[in-house]
Formats: sequence, structure tokens, C-alpha cells
Amino acid sequence: MTASGSKITKVSIASINDGGNPRSQYIDQSAIPYLEQQALSAQSAHIQGVSGASYTSAGFEQSLQSALSKLGL
Amino acid sequence: MVESTTEVKTKHILHHEEEVMGTIVTFDLYDDGAPSKDLERVLGEATTVLHEADEVFSTYKGDSPISRLRRGEITLEQCPHQIGEVLELCRVARTISDGWFDPWMMPGGVDPTGYVKGWATQRSLDVLRRSGIRAALVNAAGDTAGFGGPRIGAAFRIGVVDPAATQRLACIVESPGAVATSGMYERGWHLIDPHTGLPAARAASATVTGTDLGLADALATALAVAGDQALNLVEVLDGYEALVIGYDGTTSMTSGFPVARSSS
Repeated sequence: MTASGSKITKVSIASINDGGNPRSQYIDQSAIPYLEQQALSAQSAHIQGVSGASYTSAGFEQSLQSALSKLGL
Repeated sequence: MVESTTEVKTKHILHHEEEVMGTIVTFDLYDDGAPSKDLERVLGEATTVLHEADEVFSTYKGDSPISRLRRGEITLEQCPHQIGEVLELCRVARTISDGWFDPWMMPGGVDPTGYVKGWATQRSLDVLRRSGIRAALVNAAGDTAGFGGPRIGAAFRIGVVDPAATQRLACIVESPGAVATSGMYERGWHLIDPHTGLPAARAASATVTGTDLGLADALATALAVAGDQALNLVEVLDGYEALVIGYDGTTSMTSGFPVARSSS
């Protein structure tokens, strides 16, 4: 994570578990920059939490709540 | 506005992720930074509430009391008292939802799973509240319960996931305490229509806000299954509001649904 002053300018979401599946790896690759971008807009929306359909432990990593948590609120 | 030097400000002091109930539950605590409070112990008590509920209510654990009850090996009277308590609350939710939430119509016997996560999360939050912490937000896999807010006088702002593009938000709500969302887009066809016993969801997602996360969660499940035809069940309920998003992106909501301004 890169912080510029008090504003976060770049979020890195590193630990994506793709299980070695080429297709899921492809999806992950395209999803990661998008998630970073959305995490930044979550910050600009001044939210503290995200409500959505229930995710499993495995699904948490891809969730907006996880991205928001990585920003440190 | 000039701030008084004696004003106590709330700030984010702790983030915790607990793996329990097959998911990750996040805890965010806010306080004035006073070092006297024993945060680790309080957090331990709050997470213990969730683990204990999981031991009693998990239908994935074959030897849990709820699994044994479902198989008819033990009676309700032989179960831990929490099961009777939760089933009583489920009965209330079934009545309020006009039968759209009905644990007794689930395949394989009575299954209060749709109530338990919210109920346990609300109890976990109560532990934090009793500790004297200024504000806390607990997010159990997309269902949030909180008290206080990120600043004195401000409610927590909760983003609602857009079911058509799950890395985006459909809207932001000012949380009155509990915000629960149900939909099929994360885990597939797990919502059951109590009238048929078959998987069904007439809405892409349903969000219910209110004071108690157990009831909010049950009503969100009911509305996801029933669709916007059931919005009126929440409209007449004091302290609860609902938003239903259709598969075509249309949104319907109760008259007091607490949509926030896009930024603050």
C-alpha cells in the first residue's frame, strides 16, 4: 500500500489464491486492478463497511469488505 | 466550526479478522485512544460468542446439537437453551415475513442457519458495547452490526454491493445499527422458497436495515426469495427498512430506507 500524505494512492492486493487453475488465474489477473480501483472509490465514498450476499472464507479475499479493510479505513 | 480542546474524538483503533462459521468476520473498533481498556480480552470475549454459536448451530458439524436435533437423536429439551431461544425468534420472523422466512420448511429438517449468523453477531457486538468502547462495527460475511460511528454524532456508512457488478456499490446507507443483505450472487442457489422447498430468489439482492441483525438477516433472506412483492411486510415494521434490487437492475425500497448522500 502506498500512502501519499493522508491519501492512499495505490492498494496492492497480493494474496489471491487461484489454486493453480489457469482460468481462475486469468479471472484473478483481470479482477485485481479492478478491485484496487474500487477500493479507492470505496475510500472516496467514506464508508466503513460493506453489506452484500454472504461470502465464504475463501470468497472474503475478493470481497469489497476485504479491500476496504486493507485500506485501514 | 471551532473544535473545543476538551472534545473527545473517536478514531479507528483496531481491525481484526476472525475465521468462524465458514467465513471471515471483521471487527473494527473505534475509541478515543485511551490506553486503559483491555482490548485484547474484550475482543477475545466477542469472538468467543461467535465460536460458541458455531459449535451449537453448525449444520456442517455432524455432532453439533442442531445436527443431532435435525436427525431426531435428541429433543429440543435436551438441546442447549440457545437453540430454543433462536427457534422462538425464528417463529417471530416467520410471522413477520408472512412465511417467506421459514426454517421449518428447509430440506432436512428445521434449519435456523438464516437467523443464527445475525443473532450471534448482534450478541458479539453486545459484548463490545458493554466494554465501554465508543464505537464498533462487526461485519459477518456481508451482514453488519454496529453502534456509535466513525466520529461523534456520525452513523456508520455501509456500502451495499451491486449484485450485477459485485466489485461496485449499488448505494450507501447510513446504518441504524444493523444492515443485512441476501442474494444468490456469492454462493449460488442456497436460498430456498419455503412454499416449494426448492431454491429460488425473485430478487438479485435484498438489503434490510434495522436495530437487530438477526431479524434484519431473516427479513433480507425473505425478501431475496419473495422479491419486491414482499416489501410491504417491512414497510409496516417499526425501525426496519428494505431495498430490493431486481435482476434487471430496478430498485424498490420502503419509504424510510436510509440512503446516504454519495459522499460526506
